[in-house]
Amino acid sequence: MKKKWSVGKVLTQLFLIIWLFLCLFPLYWMFTMSLKDTNEIFGPNPVGLPSQWLWGNYASAWGSGGRISNYMVNSVIDTFVSLAFTSLLGFMCAYGLLRMKWRGQKAVYTYILLGMMIPMHAALYPLTEILMSLTKTHWALIIPYVAFNIPITILILSGFITNIPYEMEEAACIDGSGIYRTAFTIILPMMVPALITAAIFVFLQVWNELLLASLFTTDNVRTLTVGIKQMSGQYQTDYGSMGAGLVIATLPTLILYMCMSSQVQKSLIAGAVKG
Amino acid sequence: MKRVLSNKWSIMVFVLPTVVFFTYIVIFPIFKTLWYSLLNEIPAKVGDASYFSWLEHYIAMFTPGRRNPFPGAVVNSLLYAALSIFVQLPFSMFIALLLANGAKGESMYRNIFFIPVVISSVVVSLLWGRLYKGLLPQIFESLGWSVPKNGFLGNPQTKIWFSFIPSLWQYVGYHMLLMYGALKSIPEDVIEAATVDGASGAKMAFRIQIPMIKPMLKVCLSFSLIGSFKLFDTPWVLLERSNRDLPALSMYVDMFSNHNYSYASAQAIFIVLECLVFTILLNVVFSDRDERNLRRRKERV
Repeated sequence: MKKKWSVGKVLTQLFLIIWLFLCLFPLYWMFTMSLKDTNEIFGPNPVGLPSQWLWGNYASAWGSGGRISNYMVNSVIDTFVSLAFTSLLGFMCAYGLLRMKWRGQKAVYTYILLGMMIPMHAALYPLTEILMSLTKTHWALIIPYVAFNIPITILILSGFITNIPYEMEEAACIDGSGIYRTAFTIILPMMVPALITAAIFVFLQVWNELLLASLFTTDNVRTLTVGIKQMSGQYQTDYGSMGAGLVIATLPTLILYMCMSSQVQKSLIAGAVKG
Repeated sequence: MKRVLSNKWSIMVFVLPTVVFFTYIVIFPIFKTLWYSLLNEIPAKVGDASYFSWLEHYIAMFTPGRRNPFPGAVVNSLLYAALSIFVQLPFSMFIALLLANGAKGESMYRNIFFIPVVISSVVVSLLWGRLYKGLLPQIFESLGWSVPKNGFLGNPQTKIWFSFIPSLWQYVGYHMLLMYGALKSIPEDVIEAATVDGASGAKMAFRIQIPMIKPMLKVCLSFSLIGSFKLFDTPWVLLERSNRDLPALSMYVDMFSNHNYSYASAQAIFIVLECLVFTILLNVVFSDRDERNLRRRKERV
């Protein structure tokens, strides 16, 4: 009979548990930090559970001093409007490029996919010129977020859209449905899984974006990433509230991941080619 | 039917808005950056003899000198690439192999190892910043190790290394998942045949599993390389504002602190070219090897 636990298996588990600890420790540390006051963090108890659970830190980060609530609203608006536009434009463009028949469609497809290779850094200053007048609005971020995420959206959609049989369009056409109605009421619903895959990828990109957000937002439209970065400078003395801010900024992505971890993993694998 | 699908008007309605928008926001700015990088200064003096500086900024970028941090920044980014390729990727591969070969708790480990990937790099950097300032020195002291003078991020020689660690740590899970997925898609019978032939453990990994996921390794490598040339968020949060120790940081500081737009544009173009060159190089290396292997196999037959 085979032994149930060999030395190799024990070592494997030991190694995996150590890395598990190293993955989770910063998160654990963030959560406990958010419930302590500064004296406790720097004093006798940097690592352990808080002696008193100071939920007040969340109130002060969220409300008066921290303004995390504003940042959160801005991030939510930017992210969802960006998602809506990338999905709509991405779907329409993918449909026109990959379902319809015309000369030059391959070339245009390649042209857009080449856009994936281009780092945002390269467009930074000209983008500043285009977007500077919009920095008091959400559009200053939404516009570049949509534009830079369109190639990856189209790439993810392309795998699905070419697999739909043309009988769909034929049947719709015979029934007298026009091309727009066919695209939006027949093909679009079939594309929902692919659109979700793309949307999760874009969500994580946009929600976590820092560089453009730090350049193109003025105070009232600041997003979470920039907001907590600023807070960390401002709150040099109040680490508890800063920890609470970090937790609040992280929770939406963590919850998304916990609810649909395999879907999130699938999205990020699909988006890996973006680099 | 065919007429409907090749109706010029509807094609335009579907494709044109996106193409125009994409061109205006993504493609057009890059050519503008290229143009700016050839000018002497911005705002440009039209009609002046010194309107164009042509390649002067590119030459200045690589003229060694104590006040020019750019060559050092490029070296640093290559060091990050090396760390990523020779430490992070093998480590991720090791985890992926352990999990794919059926370690107990496979999916639980996989799901948890991936958590850092979904967290914002700002949060990761701020957390590590606190670890460097608060907790790590205490741990080091209690173990009797020496803490670097001025803290982990205070020593100009070593701080860049410590600013690399958070993002290396963060993306282990990503590479692990990519490799794990590829390993899992190796056909069962290949593994079985190799087992029958007596392969196991390291031999199985190096002779069968790793060679079979080469396309995914290429994806991981290009992710590492391009990521290291573009590396910005983590060091930007962790290091001081005027730090220019990485190409993207240097570009940022020249652009938005020193307002030297044309010089910064040249640096931006260099980053793009670097990404392009290495992507092409990677493609050449990987395709050549595969072709050579194929030829060799054919010859043997």
